[in-house]
Amino acid sequence: MIPIELVLGFAALLFCTGLYGMMTTNKALVALMCVELMLNSANINFIAFAAYDVFADATIGNIFVLMSIAIAAAEVAVGLALILNVYKIKGTSSTDDLTTMRW
Amino acid sequence: MFMEYAWLIPILPIACFVIVGLFGKKLHEGGGFVAIAGAAIACIFSVLVAYDFITNGVDGIFGAPFVTEMKWLVFPGSDFVINFGVYIDGLTCIMLIFSSFISTMIFVYSIGYMGDQGEKKPRYYGEVSLFLTGMLGLIVSSNFLQMFIFWEIMGLCSYLLIGFWSFDHPEAKQKSSAAKKAFLVTRAGDVCLMAGLFIVLYLFGSLDYANIFNAVAIEAIAATNPELLTVAGLLIFGGVIGKSAQFPLHDWLPDAMAGPTTVSALIHAATMVKAGVYLTARAMPLYVFNSVNGEAVLLFIGIIGGFTAIYAASMALNNFNIKKVLAYSTLSQLGYMILALGAGGFLMAHGYNTGEEHLVALGVLGYMAGIFHMLNHAFFKGLLFLCSGAVIHATGTEDMKQMGGLFSKLKVTAVTMLLGSLSIAGFPLLSGFWSKDLVLEAALHAGTHGMTGFTVLFVMGMITAFMTAFYMFRMWFMTFVGDYRGTEHVHHESKIMSAPLVVLSIFAVISGFVIFIGFGNLIADMLQESMGFFWIEIESGMDIAISIFTNIWTYVSIVLALSGIGIAYLMYMKKSVDPAKFNKNGESAYYKLLTKRYYFPELYDQISWKLGYGIARIVDAFDRNVIDGTVNGLSGAVIGGGDVVSQMETGHVRDYATFVIAGVVVLILVFAFIFIGGI
Repeated sequence: MIPIELVLGFAALLFCTGLYGMMTTNKALVALMCVELMLNSANINFIAFAAYDVFADATIGNIFVLMSIAIAAAEVAVGLALILNVYKIKGTSSTDDLTTMRW
Repeated sequence: MFMEYAWLIPILPIACFVIVGLFGKKLHEGGGFVAIAGAAIACIFSVLVAYDFITNGVDGIFGAPFVTEMKWLVFPGSDFVINFGVYIDGLTCIMLIFSSFISTMIFVYSIGYMGDQGEKKPRYYGEVSLFLTGMLGLIVSSNFLQMFIFWEIMGLCSYLLIGFWSFDHPEAKQKSSAAKKAFLVTRAGDVCLMAGLFIVLYLFGSLDYANIFNAVAIEAIAATNPELLTVAGLLIFGGVIGKSAQFPLHDWLPDAMAGPTTVSALIHAATMVKAGVYLTARAMPLYVFNSVNGEAVLLFIGIIGGFTAIYAASMALNNFNIKKVLAYSTLSQLGYMILALGAGGFLMAHGYNTGEEHLVALGVLGYMAGIFHMLNHAFFKGLLFLCSGAVIHATGTEDMKQMGGLFSKLKVTAVTMLLGSLSIAGFPLLSGFWSKDLVLEAALHAGTHGMTGFTVLFVMGMITAFMTAFYMFRMWFMTFVGDYRGTEHVHHESKIMSAPLVVLSIFAVISGFVIFIGFGNLIADMLQESMGFFWIEIESGMDIAISIFTNIWTYVSIVLALSGIGIAYLMYMKKSVDPAKFNKNGESAYYKLLTKRYYFPELYDQISWKLGYGIARIVDAFDRNVIDGTVNGLSGAVIGGGDVVSQMETGHVRDYATFVIAGVVVLILVFAFIFIGGI
């Protein structure tokens, strides 16, 4: 079995990739995908701790991941709907142009 | 039986003030009759209280003060209490009667004098009622704080009434500035008085008269803390200087003539300036029992009084304004009262300190002379002011150059004013004669038995007596004899205005005879029982009269008064002596000095401009730069900081994400440093 450090390192890498992408992109869809990446890296952490029996009750980790995935799906649905509507109103989905909601 | 209800006396006029203030416009004569009723009932009540006090005494002791108090301010955790109550002794009775009586007369007279004021009448009657409340409340007060409250009510009312014509009047500006001057100049004195009361409170731990006017307590403090006791006495006298218009705070009183003549009469005869003399008389134990410095303070009081007497009389010599002549005359007579109190107090203190009882008796006589003169002055000065008001009402001017020959048209006024003038001049057997001679006698005794300084004041008082006779008769002759010099048609005198004149003139003639019916004993009993003086005996009225008529100086003062009248007669009636010879047609330096009022108004103006305005400018600059600067700087920093910080709000989602992440990273580092680094 591969050591848990590798799994956690992979999850951290995935999180940083999503973070980097979100901080640099100007495309709303890409930002949404990066959020998904970060969420999934967190899920991997749950799974890893559950699989390696770090805590007494492994089932909580598994159940939590299922719930997280479900919420992520709902979140993506809301996010996509928002982006779609913004695109319909403004004719763009670039976050560089969507700067009026300030002050 | 009546004394228990003495608290009603000040309540009556203030009730009138409320009624007239609220419903005056709907009442007959603007509420004038309500004000008269209030003052008259207060007067009747005062007489009843005085009768009760004099005939029954308190607990069988004649002269002992009647004190009834209720707790007003209680400070938890300390036994210090401020009371609100009534304090009745001989002085209170005398003051109550003459204040309320003369006010009643003045209010009756006002119905005629202020009859043409229309809408302003409710304001007038409301304010004079409140004024009377101030005086009566001050007189019956049982402690210094209560007295100070009423003292200030009077200050406010004097301001309102002197400035009565500050609106809708051709000389409104001058009137309102006179009102402000009266208010601010007396304020200078009031601040002193307040400081004095704080010291008294510190020294005695109480402001109640009953606790303070106690020879044992005062002497104990004089032994341990004489400096503060002296300072307190001087500061209280500072309040008197302001209120009773003594030198150097005298200058508001001539200007206060800007108000209606009835108000002048009220201020000069019944209220306001009498409050200062009353306070000096009331606070006398503080001076007399101050065995260390008391005599010096009383000498100072005498000097202020004696100097004011001659100084103010000199300015009346060449004034052509009938009201201003009377105003200076009031100043001068107030000087007499203060001189008498100073000299009498000095003799009491000197006799007390040296153990010579006959000096104390002479001092009591001098003290009595001051109060006696205040009583007589109230009658004749009230009369004279009301007479001058009748003349002004008839001719429409205050300038005596525009008068003359009014005797045939204003017979009642002329005769009553002649009686008042004779009285103030000290014509034998009229009221002013008795009290003035007692005042001068007190100064003379103080001079021969103690401090020679009082002899100088006695000589000044003698000269003042001569000047008083001269200027009063100069005024009378210029007004009533010769040919009419004015252009206005002279109105007839009305009955409602003449009646108070007749009543007051009777009192101006006979009020001096009260010394024969126990006035002196009333004062002596009061000093003995209320103020903790040791046993004193005063001569009976007949003995006082005998001593007056066997004293050579009495005849000197009569001769001086008659010669003053004679010179006025020669100058202004027979015109055989031309006054222009003495003043070089108004060109002599002294004549100009007098018309300029010794440059005192200028001095006031200079002080207020240079000093007051300078300080005001510094304060203004401080306010604008430092205080406003601080506030404005703070708000500017917030606004500017907000501007800078709001630039961070770019609107780019990814920038916000960056800030969030940076924040989280910083937090993680901080916690890592605290928890991990700490271990």
